[in-house]
Amino acid sequence: MISAIYNFALTTGANRVIRGARIEHVCGDPTLSPEKDYAFGMRIVTTALQTLTIAVPGPTLFDPMASGKEAVHAS
Amino acid sequence: MRLEMGTFPVTDITFGRATRYDAGRLTVDCDAVLAAVRQDPRIASAELEIAKPGESVRIWPVRDVIEPRIKVEGPGVCYPGICGREIATVGEGRTHRLAGMGVVEVSSVNWHDAGGDFVETYLDMSGHYGEMYPYQKLLHLCLVVEPDSTLNEEVKNYAVHKAALTVADQLGEAVRALAPPEYQIFELTPVDPKLPKVIYIWCVHSPQAMSGSPSAFCTATYGLTQLTPPWYLHPNEILDGALTGPYRTAFAMSWTVANNPLLLDLYRRHGRDWNFLGVISLRTEWTTQTEKQLMANQTAKLAQQLGADGAVVTWDAGGNEFIEVVRSIQACERLGIKTVFLTSEDDATDGAPTMLEPLPEADAIVSTSFFKNVTLAVPEAPAVARVIGLPTKIVRRGSTIGLHGGVDGAALPTAGPLPPPWRYDDHYGFTSLSCIE
Repeated sequence: MISAIYNFALTTGANRVIRGARIEHVCGDPTLSPEKDYAFGMRIVTTALQTLTIAVPGPTLFDPMASGKEAVHAS
Repeated sequence: MRLEMGTFPVTDITFGRATRYDAGRLTVDCDAVLAAVRQDPRIASAELEIAKPGESVRIWPVRDVIEPRIKVEGPGVCYPGICGREIATVGEGRTHRLAGMGVVEVSSVNWHDAGGDFVETYLDMSGHYGEMYPYQKLLHLCLVVEPDSTLNEEVKNYAVHKAALTVADQLGEAVRALAPPEYQIFELTPVDPKLPKVIYIWCVHSPQAMSGSPSAFCTATYGLTQLTPPWYLHPNEILDGALTGPYRTAFAMSWTVANNPLLLDLYRRHGRDWNFLGVISLRTEWTTQTEKQLMANQTAKLAQQLGADGAVVTWDAGGNEFIEVVRSIQACERLGIKTVFLTSEDDATDGAPTMLEPLPEADAIVSTSFFKNVTLAVPEAPAVARVIGLPTKIVRRGSTIGLHGGVDGAALPTAGPLPPPWRYDDHYGFTSLSCIE
C-alpha cells in the first residue's frame, strides 16, 4: 500500500507500506519538471512492486527515498 | 491586553430611512447599505432581506453568518486582514457588538473550484432542523449577493465576503457613538498562582491542500488561510475577529467562532477555577505524516512553554486532519499536560473505531455526537413559505432517508422538503442535543 499518511496503513495491518509523497499527490510531485516528476513517481511505484518479492514479518514501512533498500519495521 | 466589550442587544430589525439603533430596535437604511456594497465594481447584484425567528423562511446558500462588531477605541479594525482589511494587532481598547443578530452572506459562490468542498448550509428560521443550530434564535439581515461572473473563484469569494463585512460595518457604525446597554471587560489578569493553567488548542482547517492555493478563502487568522505552524492568540484578538469563519460546516461560521461558548467559559472562569493562558490556534490538513507529527510536537511544545497544566482541544474539520489534532493531544499528554478533547464521532460501522486514530493518550473525550445527519436520523426539513436566496438546491452526498434515497447531485426546489446537509458537527458545544442509549 502506497500512502502519505503511512501510520494508518501500518496500524491497520497492511503488510507492505510504501511511503508516498503527499495526500494530494501520492505518487508524484507537481512542483517538479515533467521529467523529474516521472522519475519520482517511477521510484515510488518500482519500490512498491519490488516489495512484493520481499517476505515481511508483519506491517513494514518501505521508504522509496531512502538511500539503501533497508526496510523500517513498525514497532 | 484589555478589551472593553459593549453589547447592544438587537430585539427587532426593520427597514427605514436611516440606519440607527434605539433600545434594541435596529433600523436599516437599505438603499444606503446597498450603495456601500455596490461601490465595489466586482459586485453584480445585491439585495437585503430580513429573517426572523419562528418564520417559515429558508435561507440558501448560507456562506457565512457574521456578528457586527466595530472597533471604537484601540488599534486596528474588527475582522482584521480579511479581504484587504488592515492587519494591526487587535484585542485592545473598546469594541461594540450587535448581539442576537447576524449578517447572513447568501451567494452561489463556492469556496473554490478544485472540487470536493461545497457550500451546503441552509438555515431554517423555524422547525426541527433549524433548532439544531444557534442561528434560528437570531434576527438576520441577509445579503443576497452575486459577483461579476467573469472573475476567478478566489476573487469572487473575496468580493462577496467583503460585501457582507461592509454590511456588518454599516450596522456597527450605528452604535459607534452610543453608550452600550451591557458592558464587559475582558482581561487575563494575574491570578492565584496555585490555580491550574489551562490552554485552549483551537484547531482550524486550512483550504490550501484541498484547493491547491495558499490564498483560497476559508477560516482565517488575520485573513491568512494557508497552512501555517501553530499561532498563539490572546482571546481578546479572537473577540475582535482575528479568527474568523467560514468553513463548510454550519458551526464554523464567523458568528460561531466569535461566540464560541468554550472560549467564553474558559475566560469567564479565569481566576476562579483556573488560570486561562489563551489560545494556540493550529491549522490543519497538513499532507504528510512528518508535517502532521511536527505540528503536533510544536503545538505541545508551545503549550508547555506557556506553562500549561491542562489543555482543551477542539477542531472544525474531518478526515485526515484528525491526525495532527489527536497527535497534538498525545504530544501534550507525553509532556504532562492533561487534555480534554471535544469532538464529533465517525460512524461505528462494522466495528470500526469512531475515531480515525484512537490513541490511548486521548482518554478524556467529550462527544458532541456523530458527524453525519444520516447517522443521527435527522428527518428531512419540511417545505417553507418563503426562500431567501436561490430557488433550487443541489443535494450533495444525499442522506439516505426520506425523499433523497441516496440521490447525489439532484437539484430540488429550495422551498420544498429538503434533506439536512450531510454533516452535523457542533465543534464548540453550542447545543444541548442529547440521546438515550
